[in-house]
Amino acid sequence: MTARRARAFLSTLRKVERHLGVPVPARVKILRELEFDLEELRGRLEAEGLCPEEARARALEALVPDPGTLTELGELYTPRYRRLTGHLDQDVVRVLERSTLAIMAAGLLAAGALALSRADLFRDPSPFLWAVLALGGISIFLAAGEGFALWVKRDHQLSRGGPRLILALAGVTLGLGLFGALLDAYQLVATTGGAAAFMLPESFESFEWFARQAGLLTASLVLALAGGLAWFVLTQWLTLVSGARLDVLGLDPTATRQQEVR
Amino acid sequence: MTEKGFDVQDFARGIHELLVLSSLQTGEKHGYQIALDLQADSNDLFRFKHGTLYPILHRLEGEGLIKGSWSKDGGRRKKVYSLTGKGRKHLSGETGRVQEIVSGLMRLLPAPSEVPA
Repeated sequence: MTARRARAFLSTLRKVERHLGVPVPARVKILRELEFDLEELRGRLEAEGLCPEEARARALEALVPDPGTLTELGELYTPRYRRLTGHLDQDVVRVLERSTLAIMAAGLLAAGALALSRADLFRDPSPFLWAVLALGGISIFLAAGEGFALWVKRDHQLSRGGPRLILALAGVTLGLGLFGALLDAYQLVATTGGAAAFMLPESFESFEWFARQAGLLTASLVLALAGGLAWFVLTQWLTLVSGARLDVLGLDPTATRQQEVR
Repeated sequence: MTEKGFDVQDFARGIHELLVLSSLQTGEKHGYQIALDLQADSNDLFRFKHGTLYPILHRLEGEGLIKGSWSKDGGRRKKVYSLTGKGRKHLSGETGRVQEIVSGLMRLLPAPSEVPA
């Protein structure tokens, strides 16, 4: 009975949703509230003796927001960031956003590099380390950009491409680190003619070699883990928001991309 | 509403907000219940149409004057509102102001019997 009643207002909810310019999580809550109120008011009016059509029409008239009310709701839920930057040239804002994110990513990367150098892992770094750090920097920049769009700008019009790219970069970072370490090991074995270097723990070259590999593997592991974590959090959030929206609109969660978070 | 004098639009909005707050004095309610109670208690004088209740509720919630909470009712999620301590204080202060404005208005307006037909 609940499902049948809920369907009675689905087309209204979908129509309202199309004109409700608020972030998706708030939109879902407004639609859920509206649906419950519509159902309850219709039930109440029917109990008072109105015919179902009349009760439905009265409930819609009382509760379904008109364009002016939708605009008012939209203004209420305008993210603070948009209120602050709304009067500025949006091209300038975009450049400032990207610059800030790039500086933040570079700062985080520099802090990581500093920690590695303090641990004396940069004395003789593997050439692969620079590529790993560069990929990590790009991942951090992308993750910060997606997070900023989702939680500061409250813009849910994101495709899954961003998180997937972050995950792919994390995989490449880890792969590059492992490949670099293996290649270094292969070169060492090739130049020493066997495992001789590993059998001399007091050897300075041996320590340097291990330190170089430790630096490369630590950096690639940490950056890959951070990228994987960013992918997980972003994907889970998008799935949650998208699922809630599809649920309230009675759409199939396994359906096409057009139904995904707008 | 401003400290001295008032903006008519702000006043009208303030009145609606006060009505919602006063309706919640008796306990927590759903949005539609607030609308129905106000309509009934005012003999149909105050009717919320076209969802105009929602921006009021959500604004009051954003200002911390009322608190919205979700619960389940037969598998459906419902949102009920209740008055907060801040809302109670606001209601008491603003009710006094509205009464002041209304009595000032009544002093300016002639009695119906004094108006020539």
